[in-house]
Amino acid sequence: MSIATLSDVEFGVELPTFEPDTSLKTVGTFAELVGWGGARFSDHEAARKEGLAGAMVPGILSQGYLVAMIHQWAPPAEIKKIDTVFRAPVIADEPHAINGVVTDIDDEEGLVEVDITVTNEKGETRVFGTASVKLPQ
Amino acid sequence: MLLDLHTHSIKSDDGRAKVENYCQWIKAKALPLDGFVLTEHRQFDDESDYSALAEKFGLCILKASEVETEYGHVLVYGVTPELQKAFDFASTHLELAVVLSESKKHGAMAVPCHPGRPKVGMFAHTDELGIPEGVEIVEIHNGGSRDQEDQIAIDNAEALNYRGIAGSDSHIVSHIGRCATKFSRNINSINDLVEALKAGDFEAVNLKTAG
Repeated sequence: MSIATLSDVEFGVELPTFEPDTSLKTVGTFAELVGWGGARFSDHEAARKEGLAGAMVPGILSQGYLVAMIHQWAPPAEIKKIDTVFRAPVIADEPHAINGVVTDIDDEEGLVEVDITVTNEKGETRVFGTASVKLPQ
Repeated sequence: MLLDLHTHSIKSDDGRAKVENYCQWIKAKALPLDGFVLTEHRQFDDESDYSALAEKFGLCILKASEVETEYGHVLVYGVTPELQKAFDFASTHLELAVVLSESKKHGAMAVPCHPGRPKVGMFAHTDELGIPEGVEIVEIHNGGSRDQEDQIAIDNAEALNYRGIAGSDSHIVSHIGRCATKFSRNINSINDLVEALKAGDFEAVNLKTAG
């Protein structure tokens, strides 16, 4: 269900899962475009030599996907804040799922708090946080 | 009685959950929890009074702490003003032996948490530092565990004859109740909890696999 106004939102409702494009090609291109070019974002073998499990998805790309997940759910949403804690690297070329769930509704301010997570195929949380989202009344 | 023994609120630097929202979540999702313990990082939250929320939602809300030692992180249940003077809760370099002995001396219970985790878990350090004396209980199920971390904790706890508790280690609202500890007696205060832990009257429950 696409959300248009605050009255459409219920406490505890789950946002539709968003499957981010973590392909090495996209990740490497994004990193280069934002000036983060480096082997750790574009080359699995080189990243492993740095002690990583593989090339990483940049944190700001993960945040971009989190925003995309929220806008997919509620196109008119104005995202006031995305607050993330990076627990473990999101590895490129590995499938991940981005999920959200409504954990607070402020009717007076028109704000919704959403718990957000990025998990891998094993269900391990790699990134978690919250988003504060303003919706039309 | 089922309690989540390891949760964080916005009082922790990496916590993003408001305590009231934890309560709302437990009720809205009909989680089987009877309550939870707030274990804020490197502090004991003297200020907050959650008794009104506890009454409103019919939940047991207790306060404890998660401190940091050379063996990793340790939950401390039964924090008193005297215990807070015995060591610096804000330190990231406490000695586990001091945390264990001072906790015991002041009637509290110290429990290494996520002990199977690299860097911040006790069993990541035992090869180098040896098996610490005085540990009786460790956290064997942690809601934030990855890979084999819980299994490492379970295997080592069994080998060393430690009892096991469980907690979600939640930092956001929707993660509360992923793991919890079952008690056969009623727990209404932190003293009740410490007594039950000392008596070994509990069972770790992993709700992550319960669907």
